[in-house]
Amino acid sequence: MPEAIYIASVVGAIALYLMMPRHGYNPRTIGALLGAFTLGGFWLVAARQMPEAQQLGIAASGAPYYYIFSALAIGAAARVITHSKPVYAALWFVMVVLSSAGLLMILSAPFMAFAMVIVYAGAILVTYLFVIMLAAQAGGPESGGEVPEYDRVAREPAAAVVVGFVLLAALLSVAFLRMDPNPAATTNLATIRNVLTRRTAARYEKTLAPDQWTALESSILKPGELRNSERIGFDLFNSHPLGLELAGVILLVALVGAVVIARQQVSEPDGEDATT
Amino acid sequence: MALSHFLLTGAVLLVLGLIGFMTRRNLIIMFLCTEMMFQGVVISLAGFSRFHLNDTGQTFVIFVLTIAAAEAALALGLIVLLFRHKQTLDAQVWAELRG
Repeated sequence: MPEAIYIASVVGAIALYLMMPRHGYNPRTIGALLGAFTLGGFWLVAARQMPEAQQLGIAASGAPYYYIFSALAIGAAARVITHSKPVYAALWFVMVVLSSAGLLMILSAPFMAFAMVIVYAGAILVTYLFVIMLAAQAGGPESGGEVPEYDRVAREPAAAVVVGFVLLAALLSVAFLRMDPNPAATTNLATIRNVLTRRTAARYEKTLAPDQWTALESSILKPGELRNSERIGFDLFNSHPLGLELAGVILLVALVGAVVIARQQVSEPDGEDATT
Repeated sequence: MALSHFLLTGAVLLVLGLIGFMTRRNLIIMFLCTEMMFQGVVISLAGFSRFHLNDTGQTFVIFVLTIAAAEAALALGLIVLLFRHKQTLDAQVWAELRG
């Protein structure tokens, strides 16, 4: 198994180096095909040696979805870092976000999936596209629509690819070790299905009755009867209240900081002041 | 489907974001690659949460999302300010921190 990891890392590094933007002839297709074959070959090797202790209880009919979403995510990520136009890179990143939302759905985390799509693809990426539009308008007419120099050529691609894939080989050699789950968790399929998917509405009428408030905690926190969003909500407010408050403070500070930064006056080269 | 497969996807996304951050010179794309590193971490966290049947992994993803949004807002504000100074998105022009 470690040999497969090292071989896949080396070939993947070569494939990504071929895909980097450069002057002159760009062997991008060769790099893409080589990377696809590396990933497929590594998956074949890993599928044959799947460790028994790491089973997640996902049905066998769900396995193709993992491969499809992973291939999409990795391919789109490779295009994000190798495409020379910023707008296309942002759009490929939307593809990465959607694929990782699919992976999160397979992992029985539907709240995470739609939170990803709404917050990342819907808010953060749209902000990125706005800023790309604002910051690129000065460069467009002068260069005649051509991509500027700093986008067309990668900066030190060989060193970056080597460093990155050494890190990847180290991470993967740990990821494929034997890991034991939490002893309180079981890998029994039936129990997993109970714990993760069932809900009942009768719980809520019971909790709203005032004379049962002493039994509130035991009646709410039955793990078998809550949906994913509800369980995350309870965990967030039960176990991480301080983190929640701090997250709110961080958001406020970021808002104030962004307004302060954006309001600074910068004198333009033609003598006029620029403010937002 | 084993945990290690999801960790593989998370690790590859993290490393691709790292390589993109070191390779690109466009300031906006550099920060986009840090967002991709967050994506890799999110997938690994969700995989571990499912493996140990512990909800804290998914709760932490909410915090990661919050920090990513705050960091994106501030980074983009800084980028717009830097662009107004030098009229270019090249990170190389800021290589010498002077004045």
